[in-house]
Amino acid sequence: MISIRAENLGLTYRLRQKLTLAPRDTRMPTGGHIEGVGRARFVTALDDVSFSLEAGDRLGLVGTNGAGKTTLLKVLYGIYEPTKGSTAIHGRVDALFNINLGFRREATGRRNIVLRGLINGWSNADIEKRMDEIIEFSELGDFIDVPFKAYSQGMAARLAFSVATSLEPEILLMDEWIGAGDPSFQDKAKKRMNDLAEKAGIIVLASHNHGLLKRTCNKILELDKGRVKAFQTAEEWFGAKAEKAPS
Amino acid sequence: MISAAMDDILTGLRMRRVWIAIASEDIGDQHRRTALGPLWLLLNYLIYVGAFVLIFGLHSPVHNFPAYVSVGMLVWLFLQEVVILGVTLFSREENFIQGTTLPLSVYVLKLTMQSLIRTGYAALGCLAILLLTGTMPTLSWLWSLLGIIQIVLTIPAAIIVFAIAGAFFPDLQFIVSNLMRVGMFLTPIFWVYGGSGGFRDRLYQWNPFTHFIEIVRLPITEGQVPVHSFAICFFIAAALWIMGILLLGKFRKQIVFVL
Repeated sequence: MISIRAENLGLTYRLRQKLTLAPRDTRMPTGGHIEGVGRARFVTALDDVSFSLEAGDRLGLVGTNGAGKTTLLKVLYGIYEPTKGSTAIHGRVDALFNINLGFRREATGRRNIVLRGLINGWSNADIEKRMDEIIEFSELGDFIDVPFKAYSQGMAARLAFSVATSLEPEILLMDEWIGAGDPSFQDKAKKRMNDLAEKAGIIVLASHNHGLLKRTCNKILELDKGRVKAFQTAEEWFGAKAEKAPS
Repeated sequence: MISAAMDDILTGLRMRRVWIAIASEDIGDQHRRTALGPLWLLLNYLIYVGAFVLIFGLHSPVHNFPAYVSVGMLVWLFLQEVVILGVTLFSREENFIQGTTLPLSVYVLKLTMQSLIRTGYAALGCLAILLLTGTMPTLSWLWSLLGIIQIVLTIPAAIIVFAIAGAFFPDLQFIVSNLMRVGMFLTPIFWVYGGSGGFRDRLYQWNPFTHFIEIVRLPITEGQVPVHSFAICFFIAAALWIMGILLLGKFRKQIVFVL
């Protein structure tokens, strides 16, 4: 049975102040709030996050920038290990983060599909079998033999989405991918996501696009500074939102 | 902790198709759009060794100086590359570490593989120099082979240690590349220890790189089996593996936060 269960997830990590003479890298980590001063500063990216999803659920993750959406996705995928709490995930997971993560810029689209397949543990036969289908779905045509670095954001998104969904993952984690890609591809992608959910898979989608979430998701998890602000059905959440801000 | 590290390494070993593919991809990237491609690796090596032979060859007490330098330099360049690239390994792979759940050992094995392939090109040049200068293959070359195997088995552990240290202390990359530059002169690659004691004697005995070079070089140039050096290399390898497994177990999941 495909399911995701997260119990009291917490993720705190030390913001390392490196001993370098170079200008400080002032990028903020992906979420949470910062505590402490000087060299011992800690980021609490997730704090006491609990929820559970069953087969067929399509969860929308919402929250302001830095609320912990991406961090939560990365914990579910296994890139980050939670410092508190636990996750129990049953099902084959694939994820689509920032489009450029996990692709080689110098390699062609075709080669990137092969590498991606190897990383996901596909056999050579699997890769061969999926190749044409992926190329066709991505509609990249002859661009498939052009280096990835020459792709536009939309083309990269098409490739990433096509690869990630081609082996029918049971659980698909997605982060803001939909911003790229033209309307016709977005329609195709939405259809494929619906197929996946109908086959009793789980989709977790982080987005600021409320229209998209309303159409796609049946549950909403709202994060605020790493904490759960709301975990409701999409109807309830959008209903409450409409009450608060009558137009 | 130890089981987590072992798990990481074993999963990495099983994913050999991944690191072999990425390693060849990396080598391709380095030579993309060049006319000679990886043949540059061979050419670089020949020019480098040739320069040393021309400058130091005439006054050297070694009877076959070109063979001495070419083998020593081959091993040294391999170790140097692995150590210097090892320190920055994880920050160079940030893109994949942030986006996939590959075990860290995959990147370690990839670097090992990549450096081996690159050294393979130089090894062709080394072999040519040996044959041209009249050093013919003998049975004692098998000891060199054993030496090479010992080095290859040590390298992943060394990369784990250097890569984790380099991820937490980015300054290390500059310290290490400086040390390695100086290290070439402190290691008996183009000079010879004459057995007369003094500073060179201490450099020879206490420099770990000496022994990794000797286990490959002595059987070829002198036909001797450097038992002492083999033993030292074995202990260094064991120490590195213990350290590597402990570090990997403890810091495996923290690397992603410090990049």
